[in-house]
Amino acid sequence: MIQEEIRCVEMVEVITEWMEGALDDDTRVAVEEHLAICPDCTAYLDQLRATTEVAADTSPPEPAPDDVRARLVAAFLASRPSSGPAPDGG
Amino acid sequence: MLAALRAGDGDAFGSLVDRYHSSLVRLAMSYVATREAAEDVVQETWMAVMAGIDGFEGRSSLKTWIFRVLINRAKSAGVRDHRTVPFSAFDEDDEKEPSVDPSRFQTGTRWTGYWSAPPQSWAGIPEERLLSNETRAFVDEAIALLPAMQRAVIILRDVRGFTSQETCEVLGINEVNQRVLLHRARSKVRARLEEYLESGVPS
Repeated sequence: MIQEEIRCVEMVEVITEWMEGALDDDTRVAVEEHLAICPDCTAYLDQLRATTEVAADTSPPEPAPDDVRARLVAAFLASRPSSGPAPDGG
Repeated sequence: MLAALRAGDGDAFGSLVDRYHSSLVRLAMSYVATREAAEDVVQETWMAVMAGIDGFEGRSSLKTWIFRVLINRAKSAGVRDHRTVPFSAFDEDDEKEPSVDPSRFQTGTRWTGYWSAPPQSWAGIPEERLLSNETRAFVDEAIALLPAMQRAVIILRDVRGFTSQETCEVLGINEVNQRVLLHRARSKVRARLEEYLESGVPS
């Protein structure tokens, strides 16, 4: 798509594709030229980036409760009788 | 890791549980009504992983496979739960809805299509407010209210930090769909967050 100019109302629809690097070159250039001269769309982009930052789960993964973990590991071992040390007779 | 699992190494399986259990519970909670139901779904997922480990072909990573199993289990559990969320990638009937309220753009002037009520810079919002537990909880809630596929995509991409390729593999969708869903999801969550930050008492 050949696009000489892109307006704010269109910017907000293609901005994710731009962030994802998925636009064709002409549209990408049009978006970047618009951003260079439009502080409002730059603010919009910054808000989107801030939104992803707030959404990101930065807490370390909480471990599974000990009893849950133990039960799962036991079930796993039981599911693989051929390789475990348990004499199965089979 | 895969070899260790196939060899029946309990420690290897335990480390998999350590790494993914809480993420799986969190993701499952977006499909079913209660934490208890989510834990059941995750339990089923682990059982399916145990049963499937020999047949796993390694075309995707172990991680994306496990999450894919979870999504499939969570969908059926959501149906059992009568939490009627549609799951087709094409079910989200808001594709024509604009990403930003159209009244915020000018009409009938030579600047038609340019902002009339532009977004404000958030640069002045202190980080301790923007990244507070309260703001995070608000965003979590906004995510929970999204249509199912948009919710799944934004959770995987933005909350859990999956790549777009991993997200496509987990959800069984293509890149284009994935981007559309991510776009809808982020646009809506941004709009909610904007209302929240700008209506709240500035600190």
